[in-house]
Parts: sequence; structure tokens; C-alpha cells
Amino acid sequence: MAEAGRLNLPAAPTIRAEPVTVVRVGIIILILVLWEAIAQSGLLYRDVVPSLLAIGTALVKLLSTSDYYWHLSVTASEVGTGLAVGGLSGLLVGLVLGGNRMLSKSFEPYLYYLGPTPKIIFFPVMIMWFGVGPGSKVAMGAISCFFPIALSTAAGMRQIDRVLIRVGQSFRANAWQMATKIYLPAMRHPIINGVRLGLGVAIIGTLLAETKLSNRGVGFLIIQAYSLFDMPRMYAMLIVLFVVAIGANALVGRLGGLSTIRQR
Amino acid sequence: MVSVTTLPKSGVAGAWSSADGGTLVVDDIVKQFDTPEGPLVALDHVSLSVRPGEFLAVIGPSGCGKSTLFNVIGGLLDGYQGAVTVGSETVHGPHAAIGMVFQEESTFPWRTVIENVAFPLEIAGMSKKDRFDKARKFIALVGLTGFEKRYPAELSGGMRQRVAIARTLASEPKILLMDEPFASLDEQTRLLLGDKVLQIQQELKQTTLLITHNITEAVQLADRILVMTYRPGRVKRIVTIDLPRPRSSDVVSSEAFGRYVAQIWNDLREEATRGMQDEETRALHAGEAS
Amino acid sequence: MTVAAITRSRAFPLALGLGSLLVAVLVVEALIRVGVINRFIVPLPSQIVMAFERVIVEEDIADRFRLTFFEALTAGAMITVVGVLLGLLLFRINILRQATETWVAAMASAPTVLMYPLFLVIFGRSAWTIIMMGFVAGLPPVILKTIEGLSATRRVLIDVGKSFKLTGPQLFIKVLFPAALPTIFVGVRLGLIFTLINVVGVEFLINFGGLGQLINDLAERYDLPGTYAAICFVILVSVCFFVFTEWIERWLRPVD
Repeated sequence: MAEAGRLNLPAAPTIRAEPVTVVRVGIIILILVLWEAIAQSGLLYRDVVPSLLAIGTALVKLLSTSDYYWHLSVTASEVGTGLAVGGLSGLLVGLVLGGNRMLSKSFEPYLYYLGPTPKIIFFPVMIMWFGVGPGSKVAMGAISCFFPIALSTAAGMRQIDRVLIRVGQSFRANAWQMATKIYLPAMRHPIINGVRLGLGVAIIGTLLAETKLSNRGVGFLIIQAYSLFDMPRMYAMLIVLFVVAIGANALVGRLGGLSTIRQR
Repeated sequence: MVSVTTLPKSGVAGAWSSADGGTLVVDDIVKQFDTPEGPLVALDHVSLSVRPGEFLAVIGPSGCGKSTLFNVIGGLLDGYQGAVTVGSETVHGPHAAIGMVFQEESTFPWRTVIENVAFPLEIAGMSKKDRFDKARKFIALVGLTGFEKRYPAELSGGMRQRVAIARTLASEPKILLMDEPFASLDEQTRLLLGDKVLQIQQELKQTTLLITHNITEAVQLADRILVMTYRPGRVKRIVTIDLPRPRSSDVVSSEAFGRYVAQIWNDLREEATRGMQDEETRALHAGEAS
Repeated sequence: MTVAAITRSRAFPLALGLGSLLVAVLVVEALIRVGVINRFIVPLPSQIVMAFERVIVEEDIADRFRLTFFEALTAGAMITVVGVLLGLLLFRINILRQATETWVAAMASAPTVLMYPLFLVIFGRSAWTIIMMGFVAGLPPVILKTIEGLSATRRVLIDVGKSFKLTGPQLFIKVLFPAALPTIFVGVRLGLIFTLINVVGVEFLINFGGLGQLINDLAERYDLPGTYAAICFVILVSVCFFVFTEWIERWLRPVD
């Protein structure tokens, strides 16, 4: 008969109170009504605020042509590759800096102060180094996400509960076992948060590069719509972009959130 | 109500025996730290030995170097004079024959109870089925059967320490080294857990070295008690506890128990007072300097 | 001094970092001169250094800097005023806060800068596109931190105010707001950083404005050393701005 211990079960997820949903729906309806009013009034010149019907039609048209999905896949692969390159190098650099006080104090300030700079200004250099094709876009995504991931990983290394490392040492785990069975699991939260942030900025960096100089991808389509003054189409693409970006962010957040059930 | 799970004679219990010759000998350790205020001698010619199957408690006031001793024996500290040997082997770094249980919360929060307990076996390369089977035996030993799939966050502090103890026992160390494992627990849990550890130790004839600052705990559990002085840490006295074995927590009400506690407190009080005065002096100087 | 003492001194990490940078630059210079690195892709660091002076003199750096600064300042003022007011509003009307706080948080990480073609249509190729983009990018952190600051005031401080019979507005001005100010400043600082990043970025993208436009210009002229120098200059400005705001934040919250 086991001793009855206090079982600290995770709290049940809070159910949204009815009034909040009402308010949200109300706000959305209000915005849509105002929008349509401006669109119909002719206050701003033609098509700057297209009617909801026009945007809706453009949205349907966009999502039903295979052409769009091809561009979407181009962007997605560029972002994915950029995230992989920037993420892995960021992880490695973060692990090294986080593990060594001296290296951290010497070099981490560079990352910290270079982080909040507009990476798009490096784009001309990226074009020179990687050409006008996908290479420069991947590079933009990579340098965008490198910094937040490296910084979160380094910080994550430092906040690992020291006793867990001593446990591993007392059981004579080798370096690989220490890294994979102790360090990385102990850092899963900062790393996931870093990746979440990195994904966001990688998307932005890649897309901006596409708008500046590209002949494919979602960014290219947006700037093309601008040059053709096809506003409903531009709005439609921006809507899809925002939904995908916010959705991806939430998904990664969920991944991190699920494991918080097990957190002390 | 704490129950004891009797282990089958084969398999686990056979790993230890008094005929093993695994005596832990700590020989003339001197350990010094460099601090901004100058060199600090934590251990000053400390020697002790633990016979196979024996339960030795090391007691002392805060600042007597107990944790330093723990880390030296466990192989997590080096740069000292003297030697630590197990049987015929010298300790350089964590030794296979020595298992450590730490004072702080040390269970891996991302692993279930059974994954935690099976950890040392996983490091040693045992297959998943084998190590889980073995882990279940030790989980039963500490009385946590049924909690295998739970995460540490779902358990109480006392239960988590039991998981940590089971995890160390799973590596079947010749010598079990514990650094104030019950320090973060409340009194009742501490007493019950102490009982549990005693039962396990007696059953497995596990050689144990327990570091503690709690006199009652030391007298309740130990065969011998080593009293340490305040910094620099030296062995002040060794007291042999002649209370009958097998022991249970009822022993705390006996007269002999009371006498042992009084005797040790006598030695300890002197050291604890010195420690307190030292703390106050340092706090005073720190205030003046700023 | 012993090796150990030198390594432990406070200047050592700084020296190591700067020293490594210098060594890296020298190595690049050597590799380019030798021909391992193509000098038409990476200009000689020595040339970049010389280009600094040329860029500063010929390219009207002062005016460009002023323009970027003006854009960032305008956007910064807007995010502060609008952001704090909106944050206050959401704090006061709890149901609104519950409904919209997650939306604002989502906007903080959303790719808002991708709307710049849209803003180009609305505001034309002018400073206002840049300012509005800076505004949109920097607004969410200010709102969120204002809400956070106001709601995190310790209960006991409010009780002290009430025990002194302060009226509602007095309680707000004398207790709530001062207590929330450090957090609000953190939000403004974050917002300003986002704003500056977007201002310079959009200047580059739409080829209009101050420093961002300079980089674009030099790149299109294939002035490699100039482009690199301009990029370094912008980084310098950004770092200085970041350090400056950090310094102010530290000054504002010595005890917390």
C-alpha cells in the first residue's frame, strides 16, 4: 500500500467566458461594417479600401489556383531552409557561449547588440554572396533567425538547474549522453521560445527579401499585385500570410506549452 | 503508514554482501578554496572509514565542510590532498561503486518516474525492457508502485526524493552517499522517509554514508556518528551508536537514544555557536565595508 | 600580473572580443589580397574604412541621419501616446482586455512590415509610409507592457492609497501610474526598437528617406565599399540607440 502523496495535477484549461466571445465577435463585426462603409463611400481613391466582396472574391480566386500554392511552397522551402541553417548554427553558438563564462562575456555582447538591427539592410551583401536566386533569400532568413535562437540557447544553458548536471556526472554519463539526455531536455523551453521567435523573424526576413528582388514566392506576388494595382488580390495575400504566420507561431507555442504540464 | 516491500533474494539483493571488501576509506583529506577574502580551508586532515554494510552519519554545523566532503568522496571535486579509496581502487572522479543522492530537487522534470529511476541503467547501455523491469523493483522498494508513469511535477516533495533515492539505488552502488536528502522536507515526512531508508538499508545491507545536520536523524539511523568541527572542518569525535538492530522509529523514545542525542548536542553546540558568531562578524564587516 | 589575474580582470573579455574581431578583419583583408576571397564580392576592409569618410562627406550623412531620426521620433511619439492610452483603456475596461489582449500579442509577432506595399498605395512613396510602418510595428509592445505594468501594481500599495482616502483619479495619478512607469518604459523601449528597425528597413525597401535609402542607393550604384560602410554605419547607429535606451531604463529603475 503506497503512501498517499499529494498529487499536483495540472489545472483544467479555462473555458472562455461567454461575454468575451460576444465582445470579440462584436468587434470583428464593427470593423467589417466600418470597412465596407469606407469602401462604398468613395472617400479614399479607388480600390485603396476595396469592398469586402472584392476581397472575398480575390481570396477565393487566390486559394483555388495551383499557381499560388507553388509560390507558397517556394517561400515555405526558403523559410524552412533558412530556419534550419540559422537555427542549427544559432543552437551550436548558443550552446558554446552558454557553457563557457569567458566566451560568453567576450562574444555574447556582439549577438546581444547586433540582434535588434534591421537585417534587411544586409540584403545587398547577401545578393553579392549568394546570387539573385533563392540563395540570398535563404541567407536573409538564416541571419534573421540566428540571433534570437543563439541568445535564447545561451540563456537557457545558464539557467539549467545545476544539480541535474551533477546527477549526470555522478552516474558517469559521457559527453554525448550529457548533451542529449540532460542539457537539451533541460533547455527545451528556452529553445522552443527561441525557435518561435526565430520562425517569426525568418518569415519576415525571407518575405522582405522576396519583395525586394525575386521572381517567385509569396513576397514576389505581393509586390507584383502592388505594381499591377490589384488591391483586392494584395489584401487577400496579406490575409493568408498573416493567418499562416500567426498559426505557425501558435503551433510552435503549443509544442512548448504541452510540455509545461510536466514542468515543476 | 509506510510499508516495506521485501525483495526476492535473487537478483537485486545479491549485489551486495559484507564479504565484498568494499570498504570506503577517506585518508587525510585537506581541501582549500581560493576566495576573494583569501584561502579558505574547508577540510583540514579529515579521515574516516565505512565498513561494508555499515551506516555512518556525518554531522556538523553549517559551514563545517560537509558538502565539500560529500563532493570529494563522490568524485565531483578535485584539487585536494589525501586520497579516497573504495576497496583497492582510488577515487578519481565519480566512481561506479559510489552512488550519490543530492540535497536539492534532482529528479528530471521531463522524465516519468520510471524513466528517472531507469536513468543510470540507460547510461550503462541496458535495453529498454531490461532497465524498466529492474527500475520497477526499485520503485517498489521505495513504495511508489503505481506511480511509474507519473511526472515529478505531479508528486509531492517527499515522493520526489524517494524517486531520487530509487534512481541511485538502481545503479546498485557499493556505497550510498547521501547529502542531507531530507533537508527540504517537513518533519513528519522526514521521519517517515528516515524509517523507509532504514528498512531498505537493513534489508540490502547497503553501506551508507549520510551527511546531515539533524541529530535525531543521525542517532536514529546510524551505527556510528562522526561529529565535525566548524570551519576548518576536522573530525571532532566518533560516537558508536549501540542501539539494537533492527531499528524502527520507536527507538526515539528510549532512554539510550536520549543520552546519545544529548551527548552529540554537547559537542555540536560548541561548534554551532562558533559558526553563528563567525557569521555575525562577517555580516557586520560586510555592512561596514559598503 | 599573473596570467590568472589578467584573465580574471574585468577588461579581459572586452579585450578578447574586440581583439578577435580585429584579427578576423585582418584575416579577411589578407585573404582578399591573396585572392582567396573575390574582391568583387567582398571589398577590402581597408577600403571600407576609407569609404567611411567618403560616405560621410559626399552623401550628406547629416541630413540623412536627421531624416531617419525625424521619422523614428514621430513614430516613437505616436506609439507612446497611442500605445499608453490604448493600454490604459484596455486596463480599465476588463472585458475589452480579455477579448483583445491575445490579438495584440499576436500582432506583436506577426509580419506587419509586409504590409508596406499597402502603405505605399495609401501614403505614397513618402516619409508617411515609413512613419506609419514604424508606428504599426512598435505599437503592440507598448500596449502590452502598459497593461502589464498597471495590473502588476502590488495590492498593498493600492490599499495604502485607499487608507489615505485618495479618490479614484488621485489613486491613479499618485499610485498606479508611478508604480507602472518602469514597466511602461520597458514597453516604450521595446516599441522604439521595433520602430527603428522598421523605419530603416522600409527606407531601404522603398528607396526613400535617410539612412536606409543610402544603403539602397550605394548598392544600386555598385559602390561596394560604400555599401559596406553604410551598413556598418547603420549598425553603429542602431547599437548606440539600443545602448542609450538601456541606459535610460537602468536609470529609471534603480530600485525595484
